[in-house]
Amino acid sequence: MSTLEFLLHGFSVAFQWYNLLFAFFGVLIGTAVGVLPGIGPMNGVALLLPITASITGTLSPEQAAASGIILLAGIYYGAMYGGSTTSILLNTPGESSSVMTVIDGHQMAKQGRAGAALGISAIGSFVAGIISLLGLILLAKPLSAIAINFGPAEYFSLMILGLLAVSGLVGKSMTKALIMLVMGLLLGTIGIDAVSGAARFTYNIPILYSGISFLTIAVGLFAVGEVFKSILERDSNSGALAKIDKPYPTKQDLKDSALPITRSSFLGFLIGILPGAGATIASAFSYVMEKKLSKNPEKFGKGAIEGVAAPETANNAAAGGAMIPLLTLGIPGSGTTAILMGAFIMYNIQPGPLLFENHPSVVWGLIASMFVGNLMLLILNLPLVKIFAKMISTPVKYLLPLIIAFSIFGVYAVQVNSFDLLLLILCGLFGYFLSKNDFPLPPLVLALVLGPMLENNMMRALTLSNGNYAIFIQKPISAIFLLISVLWLVVPFLLKRRKNKGKNTSVEIGN
Amino acid sequence: MNKTFDRYAGIVFLAIGAFFIIESHRISANAYGSSVGPNVFPFGLGILLGLLSIRLIYETFKYQQTENQKEKLDYKRFAIILVASVLYALLLEDAGYVVTTFLFLLIGFQTMQRGKIFVTLIISLSFSVGVFLLFDKLLNVPLPSSASWLGIL
Repeated sequence: MSTLEFLLHGFSVAFQWYNLLFAFFGVLIGTAVGVLPGIGPMNGVALLLPITASITGTLSPEQAAASGIILLAGIYYGAMYGGSTTSILLNTPGESSSVMTVIDGHQMAKQGRAGAALGISAIGSFVAGIISLLGLILLAKPLSAIAINFGPAEYFSLMILGLLAVSGLVGKSMTKALIMLVMGLLLGTIGIDAVSGAARFTYNIPILYSGISFLTIAVGLFAVGEVFKSILERDSNSGALAKIDKPYPTKQDLKDSALPITRSSFLGFLIGILPGAGATIASAFSYVMEKKLSKNPEKFGKGAIEGVAAPETANNAAAGGAMIPLLTLGIPGSGTTAILMGAFIMYNIQPGPLLFENHPSVVWGLIASMFVGNLMLLILNLPLVKIFAKMISTPVKYLLPLIIAFSIFGVYAVQVNSFDLLLLILCGLFGYFLSKNDFPLPPLVLALVLGPMLENNMMRALTLSNGNYAIFIQKPISAIFLLISVLWLVVPFLLKRRKNKGKNTSVEIGN
Repeated sequence: MNKTFDRYAGIVFLAIGAFFIIESHRISANAYGSSVGPNVFPFGLGILLGLLSIRLIYETFKYQQTENQKEKLDYKRFAIILVASVLYALLLEDAGYVVTTFLFLLIGFQTMQRGKIFVTLIISLSFSVGVFLLFDKLLNVPLPSSASWLGIL
């Protein structure tokens, strides 16, 4: 079958009534998650992961996987749309990738152009969504074709690169990021080893034999931990909400934004593909780029529509781009895509080069549903933006206990035991204290997902080489991956040494 | 950066690393058909974690403690919610989903802000009963029932 036929088949999956419903609820919840301050795409996807698993329980495995992933991906890119709303109206980013939008977005709102700002970010997000999907369709096949020739040694090194790339870019301290990474890998070794069948670190405790559940850890760290943070630090949304006039930009606005939107779509998409980069960096880059390219850069910071269009476009494009390494290589490049990967594995589907061959209806259904979802989002975010804006004033006092109740329900529905509930709360505590002290959580989650596969590939490579570790450098592709990994660790270290007094510019990745 | 936390965290991670190094010796070192046993991966990771922890502890001696203005943390509300969550987790299976969820939400809402008893009652009740009916009855996701001692649900 040709790509077009696959895509058409995908649309037939996406247009099934329940998948339309799943896509709709996904983007709806995603928009809400984006609008609500404090909860980002990562928290939203983690929170809904167990619930998705139980809702889809009655479908056949293949259908359940397609529907579940459609919903979770909907939350992911939906949150990218919603994130702009609080930035513009409240001067507070709804999630970290909307930080740049605050600068000009809120200025526009102050000048009474909130509607135009919201409108242009919805349009920009839509264009970015479509462009990145087209990119995904074009690149998926060739990339899978390359990756399919990878042996275990190449895969091992690629995963090392993916893990280090994410750890190198998050947080302030590389040491802390690496500690979290190794912790995630170690947690992944608990349970029955898939290669040898040996029970490791189980101490005859039955519940440990199946390993530490990824789902419990993810929900605990990201959903419960976030609630604990909000309670302890008394997060409250103060500040007046800016009024929305008409949610449509003027002709002049559209003309001014056309080029920035196009440029940012491509830039965001390319940054999104890189492991570890992601939406936050993409939006920052595109803002800076537009300011550099602009004929009157002095407008930026004073309510320039380009300053809203560019970052909002770029973060959506990056979300689309981030799907590429996940789907074609099976290597997630960020915290959110790591959770999505966890969802694939939960449905017994292995993302990677074989995904397109083995589960065409899941992956093409997902791609097609993203077209549909983006269209839904455009409708949700243009005429209905006023309704969503009202959600900003949802009282935190109701929201926080409900998130805990939701987390407990979700984990129990899938794991059906009290041990995981206690583990969930414990993870919430750890999540709060660790992230408060700059121990980044995404590397841990990523390592927990990739750990078993990393070890599996390592073992297989070593079996091929009769236990000779040199195999990882003897294979050229593997050696290149490892070389890049080493550079990734060493170069920032050397740069820091050279200009020791230079300020540490660290970018936090929260998606 | 919080020096004290980092130093203690470093010690804890060092201990975890040591634990995995020692305990990985108890895993059989041989796997059939493979020259590398299932103990190698955790053993190597344990060493890595140990080295990184030492580096972290070392770093805490190098940087200056940046005196961050003491935030006022709301420990009281947090403690109540935390205890309530733990009790919720422990009692869920025995007391049933509807009862525990209802009580947890009620306590949670009231802890976050006193008052509006009627509104919080309504939300807690509709959430707990709603979720139970939707998932247990409609979607066949079994939840622990409170039927045995309440007679309903």
